[in-house]
Amino acid sequence: METLAALGHGFTVALTPINLFWSLLGVTVGTAIGVLPGIGPALTVALLLPVTNNLEPTSAFIMFAGIYYGAMYGGSTTSILLNTPGESGSIVTAIDGNMMARKGRGAQALATAAIGSFVAGTIATLALTFVAPAMVKLALLFGPAEYFALMVLALTTVTAVLGDSLSRGLASLLFGLALGLVGIDLQTGQARFTLGIPELLDGIDTVVVAVGLFAVGETLFNAARFRFEKEEFYALKGSMWMSREDWARSWKPWLRGTAFGFPIGALPAGGSEIPTFLSYLAEKRLSKNPAEFGQGAIEAVAGPEAANNAAAAGTLAPLLSLGLPTSATAAIMLAAFQQYGLQPGPLLFESNPDLVWGMIASLYIGNVLLLVLNLPMAGIWVKLLKVPRPWLYGGILTFATLGAYTLNNNVVDLVVLWVIGLIGFGMRVLDVPVAPAVVGLILGPLAEQQFRRALSISQGDPSVFFTHPISAAILITALLLVLVPLFIRRRQRHADLPASTPAESA
Amino acid sequence: MTTERSLRVGEGLLGGGVLALGIFIAVETSRFEVGPSHAAVGPRLFPFLIAAGLIVVGLAVLWQGVYGHIAHEGGFELDWLAVAFVSGGLIAQMLLLELLGWIIATTILFIAVARAFGSRRLLLDAAIGLALTGLAYIVFTAGLGLNLPAGIIGDMIAPAESATPH
Repeated sequence: METLAALGHGFTVALTPINLFWSLLGVTVGTAIGVLPGIGPALTVALLLPVTNNLEPTSAFIMFAGIYYGAMYGGSTTSILLNTPGESGSIVTAIDGNMMARKGRGAQALATAAIGSFVAGTIATLALTFVAPAMVKLALLFGPAEYFALMVLALTTVTAVLGDSLSRGLASLLFGLALGLVGIDLQTGQARFTLGIPELLDGIDTVVVAVGLFAVGETLFNAARFRFEKEEFYALKGSMWMSREDWARSWKPWLRGTAFGFPIGALPAGGSEIPTFLSYLAEKRLSKNPAEFGQGAIEAVAGPEAANNAAAAGTLAPLLSLGLPTSATAAIMLAAFQQYGLQPGPLLFESNPDLVWGMIASLYIGNVLLLVLNLPMAGIWVKLLKVPRPWLYGGILTFATLGAYTLNNNVVDLVVLWVIGLIGFGMRVLDVPVAPAVVGLILGPLAEQQFRRALSISQGDPSVFFTHPISAAILITALLLVLVPLFIRRRQRHADLPASTPAESA
Repeated sequence: MTTERSLRVGEGLLGGGVLALGIFIAVETSRFEVGPSHAAVGPRLFPFLIAAGLIVVGLAVLWQGVYGHIAHEGGFELDWLAVAFVSGGLIAQMLLLELLGWIIATTILFIAVARAFGSRRLLLDAAIGLALTGLAYIVFTAGLGLNLPAGIIGDMIAPAESATPH
């Protein structure tokens, strides 16, 4: 089949020494930032954007993909050993994982997380291999109206599905969209909202916003909370190996977690948190000892960890085949494609098969590297966790300001960085999600382009979005995805179930 | 302790800010000079839509701040002094960057952030900061060809050449 042939070719690209190096670098950095609190894959890729300007795009994307996967592996280490999750996809892992650590079973928790991540990552990458080309065939049916509808779907679901409050999510989204308006309108040359400042003619840089919201905002917030949050660290002790019973209880949750993670990660439904929640609930329902959940049940670590890795692979499917980002990290990777002048989608598969298939092939390699990095070498990452927080955050801001400044060698960028950082801090305090703003900033201008293209093809007829069946179906799905959780939440509030507020890091 | 009332004020400010942004965008957009050929689908449509959304959401958030649920009801512990330290560090870096060079300015930032997180070991923080920023300077200028203001220390490490960045 041509897909396997393409994948084979991808392996020849990925297995060159230089690309193996970038893959190794990516997964190592990814694991490190997954382990460290305060820094996540979205921020890291954003920081690397200016730096990777001179790299071959294939190598850069192999590294970015490695970082993304690595962060999903590394995040479990912090969740289990510290009582704070490293990534939003690892929040659920912390529930039982940390309990296992307290009972001296930390090593087993780490093992089931790492192996489950490997199993899920490999299966999900296999799925990606076949789903991406299939989505490309679907995409060939898409015109501007359908693309616009898809972007609306992505924007609404990133906003509506995360967090407690629709209005706050929308505030974040609209803020991102508003920032995206700044600059010259491509279709008419009209300058918009530049306030007479010539630097703004090119728009507000995605990197500055992403770094400001994620790095500066997080640092400000963590500084404000540092005195009040105690980090309890549970050292690894005892046997490193999983018992037969551990294996027996883990393997099905691994597979189920993968089944949850990949499709949901691929849908514009908000990334890695939801599949992990679903996996936890499912494992609890299916377990022979549900009472153990919350006290250190190994299934509760195995399933969600598999789910978040599968979701990362799932996110890559629409990103590569449709140019549609379904998480903040994917949005930043889309910005990376734009930086190289590449447009993900069917065209990319045609014109740059080396890049696409090389990247996918590198994921298989990356998974193996990550298993080695995370299992026997877990001890090293544990030591990394002991970096004193004052120096960790000092380092984060050092690189954040370096990244922002070197974009244009202009101190103005640092001012913008600080202001956006303050906004990000305010958002964290008021529980406004940050991801919609980033996705809005990147997708907004693209959505507007498609919208206007669709309307000019239809000679100004706005019903085109509903007369095209695919476009109509997508828009209706978007509406349902917004309304249905609203109803469920209303009922939850009445039934007094605990609602969850995931922290942003992905 | 940041009280619930302060948080509600904050939420009100958020709502007010969003509302103000919406109004600003709407006003600015109506002042665009638009050619006759782009009646319906010109550069003003999206901004108007976004402005409308901002106004609606701004009002909703305002309402929530006053009458509805906010996050952290019951107040939230925040160390504002720490926030001030981090901000101060960033501002110091901005102001001193082109004057004293990247290494010194960023070391000041490093020390300020370390202090924000409770470190009292000024000299040790300064040493680590210098080492980190110095290393980053070398790696990113020599290794990756980026351009960082040299300043005093930079000139000692790598005397400025008239190399053009790419």
